[in-house]
Amino acid sequence: MFTETRLTQGVRLYVRRTEQFKTVTFSIRFKQPLTSEGASERAVLANILEDSTETYPSRAVLRQVLETMYGTLYYTDVGKRGGYHYLSVNAECVDDRLIRDENITDWTIRLLADAVLRPNLQDGVFKQQVFEREKQTVLERVRSLYDDKTRFAQQRLLTLLRPEGPESIRATGEEAHLEALTPEKTMAAYRRMIDEDEIEIYVVGAVDEEAVTSALKEAFHFEGRVPAVLPEKAERGNGKEGRVSEKQNMKQGKLHIGFSTPVLFGTEDFPKMQLANGIFGGFPHSKLFMNVREKESMAYYAASSYLSRYGLITVSAGIDADLADKATKLIDEQLEAMRAGEISDEELSQTKAMLANQLREALDSSRGQIEIFDQYKDLPGGFTPEGWIAKWEPVTPEDIRKMAEKIERQLVYLLSGKEESADANA
Amino acid sequence: MQMLDYSRVNEKLYHETLPNGLQVFILPKSGFSKTYVSFTTKYGSIDNTFTPLGKDEVVRVPDGIAHFLEHKMFEKEDGDVFQKFGMNGASANAFTSFTRTAYLFSATDNLYPNTELLLDFVQAPYFTEETVEKEKGIIGQEITMYDDLPDWRAYFGTIENLYKEHPVKIDIAGTVESISEITADHLYECYNTFYHPSNMLLFAVGSVDPEEMMEFIRKNQASKTFDKPERIVRQFPQEKMESAVKEGSLEMDVSKPKVHVGIKLPALSEEGLQGLKEELAYQILIDLLFGKTSKFYTEAYEEGLIDESFSTDFTAEEGFAFSVIGSDSAKPEELTRKIYDTLQRASDKFPFGQDDLERQRRRRIGFFMRALNSVEYIANQFTRYAFNGMNLFDTVTALEALEVKDLQTVLAPLADEQARTVFTVKPPANGG
Repeated sequence: MFTETRLTQGVRLYVRRTEQFKTVTFSIRFKQPLTSEGASERAVLANILEDSTETYPSRAVLRQVLETMYGTLYYTDVGKRGGYHYLSVNAECVDDRLIRDENITDWTIRLLADAVLRPNLQDGVFKQQVFEREKQTVLERVRSLYDDKTRFAQQRLLTLLRPEGPESIRATGEEAHLEALTPEKTMAAYRRMIDEDEIEIYVVGAVDEEAVTSALKEAFHFEGRVPAVLPEKAERGNGKEGRVSEKQNMKQGKLHIGFSTPVLFGTEDFPKMQLANGIFGGFPHSKLFMNVREKESMAYYAASSYLSRYGLITVSAGIDADLADKATKLIDEQLEAMRAGEISDEELSQTKAMLANQLREALDSSRGQIEIFDQYKDLPGGFTPEGWIAKWEPVTPEDIRKMAEKIERQLVYLLSGKEESADANA
Repeated sequence: MQMLDYSRVNEKLYHETLPNGLQVFILPKSGFSKTYVSFTTKYGSIDNTFTPLGKDEVVRVPDGIAHFLEHKMFEKEDGDVFQKFGMNGASANAFTSFTRTAYLFSATDNLYPNTELLLDFVQAPYFTEETVEKEKGIIGQEITMYDDLPDWRAYFGTIENLYKEHPVKIDIAGTVESISEITADHLYECYNTFYHPSNMLLFAVGSVDPEEMMEFIRKNQASKTFDKPERIVRQFPQEKMESAVKEGSLEMDVSKPKVHVGIKLPALSEEGLQGLKEELAYQILIDLLFGKTSKFYTEAYEEGLIDESFSTDFTAEEGFAFSVIGSDSAKPEELTRKIYDTLQRASDKFPFGQDDLERQRRRRIGFFMRALNSVEYIANQFTRYAFNGMNLFDTVTALEALEVKDLQTVLAPLADEQARTVFTVKPPANGG
C-alpha cells in the first residue's frame, strides 16, 4: 500500500500516491512507551504545538493563514495503542490542481516542519501564557469524561480490570500529573520527543513520491534514534473480579462487562478471535444485538469490543438498572451458546462478510488508510487488505467455539442512578 | 438519464426522475471500494400535523412517530432486515431528522442485491400491534440514553425554548409517554402519506456504474405499483420571530456548566442559488463573529470563558432556521454577555470587509473540496439541499458570488435581541 523510506534509524516515511482524494493528508507520529506522567506531558505538548509556531506566533494568526490556504487542516492529537503513547501532528490540504496558481502542498510541508521543529518559544521554553491555558484546556478535557456516562463507565471498567497497566492509562493523562506540569518540564518532554521517539511520517494523496520524499527530507532533519521496544503482554495484575456497582445522578443504567482472553493482536488465533467477537456482539446481526435488543427489547445498544492489544473483550449496554441481573445473565447465555457450538454457518459467513466490508470501507478515507496500515504493518508478512481478509476465510464454527472457551468473564460493572435523580427546573 | 458535469470539482452527476416520481441521483467516484446508497423521504419529526392520504381531515400524530416508523421499517414478517444486509456484507443504518428520514447502506460487494434490499424493505411496510409494542422498550432506552447526554439536553433545551408553536421544538424521538400512544394504524397512516416515491430521493455514490445502476433501479421500480402521486398537505403553526422563553436551565450531574445561546432566524427567503448564498452568508458571518480567528474566540479562550467544547451551529430547513452557540463554561453569565456584546458591537459598526470575506471564501472552497472525499457527506448533504430546492454542487459558484453586503444583510436577524434564548445545564447545587 505504502512506499517505505527509512530516513534515518528510527525514522520512517510512508508515502501512498493515489488519485482517490481531493486532498493530500500528512501525519507525523511520535511514539513512546505509555506512562501516565508521559501522557500528561504530551497531551499538553500536543495542544501547545497546535496553538502556534515561531512563524505564526498566535492562535489567531496561525488560524488565519490556514483559512487563506484554502482551509488547510492542521491539528495535533494523542492516542494510545498497546503499551505505547502516540502524539501525532497532522495536516490535510487541497490538491493543488483543484486550485489555480497556488502551491499549497509545499506550504503545508513547511508549516508542519515549523510546527514540529520551530515551536513558539520565549527564552527557550514554551510561553507561560500559552502553556497555562493549554494545561487548563487538557485538564478540562480530562475532567469532562465525567459528563459522558458511557465513556466514564468504560474507563472505570478498564481501571478496575487492569489498575496497573496501560489499559487504564488515558492518552490525555490524569489530573495529578497535569497539575504538576511546568513550561520547563513540558519543554524537556518536547526535546525528548524530538530526539528519542520513534517517528513515522505518512503521506496520502496525489503527490509525486520522489518529490514529496525529497521535500520532507529537506524540511525535517532528525537524528538517528533507537526505538523503545516493549514486549506484547497482557497481565491481569490486581484487577478486580466479580461485581462492582456505582451510583451517579443519571437515568439509564450503564452495564459494562469485562472479559479476559489470552488471545492477543498478531497471534495465530487473532483473526479467529476477531470473528468470535463479531459473532458475540460486533454487529447488528450479532448475538448480543439480536437477543438483548431485538428479542428482549431491553436495550437500544448492546455490543462488544475486542481490545486485542490488551487481551480484553468488553460488553456495554444501556439498560434499565433494575434489569441488570437479567441482562448480565442474558449476555452470559450468548457466550455459553458459543461455547456450546451454537454458531450457524450463516452467522459465521455474515460476520466474515461484515469484517471484510468494514476493512475495505475504512480504506476509503486517507486517515483510515494510515490508521489501518500503521496498526498492521509490523506483523510478519506485512499487510494487504485482501491478504488479511483471506485469514478469515478458512475459520470454522469449531474454531469459534474454541475461541469462546478462551473468553472468561472477569468483572461486571454497573453505573446507575441514585434514588432521587435530578430534575428539570426550567 | 441526464448527466451534469461539475468540472470545477471533477465530478459527474447522473440524474433521472422515474415515472413514479422517484428522483434518482448517481455519482461515481473512482478509486473507491465502497458504494453508499441512501433512500430518503422528505418526512421528519416536524411533519406531525397533516391530511392523511385519501382523507379530508387534518390529524395530529404522536410526537416521535417519524423516528418510530424508521425503527419499525427494519422488522418484517420474515425477520430482521439487518440480518439480510449482513448476509450481503453491507452495513445498513437509518436516521431521522427534523425534516427527513433516511435509510442507507454502504457495501464493498453485492451492490445490486443490497440496492434491491434497500428499495424493497423501505417500500414494503409491515407493522403489527405486537411488533409496535415490542419496539417501545427499545426506543424507551434510546430516549433514556439521550436524557443522560448533557450536550444533547442543552442543545434541545435551547431549541425548545426558542419556539412557542413550531414542532421543531419537539425532541425527534418523542418521549416515553408520547410513543406509548403509537399504534400500527398510526404508522400505516404516516407511511402511506409520506413514503410515496414522489416524496423520496435515492442517491448512490462511490464504486458504481451509472448506466447499469439506473437501469437496475428503473426495473425495480417498474415492477411495483404505486398510487398516483398526490400533493402532501402539511400544516405548520404560525410562529413569531420572538423567542418563546428567554432563559432556561436544567440540573444534571456534570463537572462544569454548559451554556447555549439560541437565536431564532427567519427561514431562508429563496430557493436555488440565492438560498444557498443566504445560507453561506449566515455560516460565514457566524464564523467571522465567533470562529477560531475571531476577536471573540481569542479573548474568550484567553479569559477562560470557553474551552475545546465551544461550538457554533446553523440550521436552516424549509420553514425554520436557527443558530446555537455554546460551550462548557465556568462563567456562563460572562460568556453569554460576551456573545451578546459581540453581536451588539457588530450591529453598531459592521466590522468585516473584503479581506475577511476573501479568507472565509477560500476556507469554505477548501472545506467543500475536502468534504467531497466523503461519500456519506455527498449523499446526505445533496439530499438535504435537494429537499430544500438547492443544489450542493452550486456551493463554489455561490461562494464566489458572495459580497460583503450579503453578510451585512444577515447580521440584523442574527443580532435581534428579541429572538434569543439562553439555556444552561448546571451541576447540582449541592455539589452532587
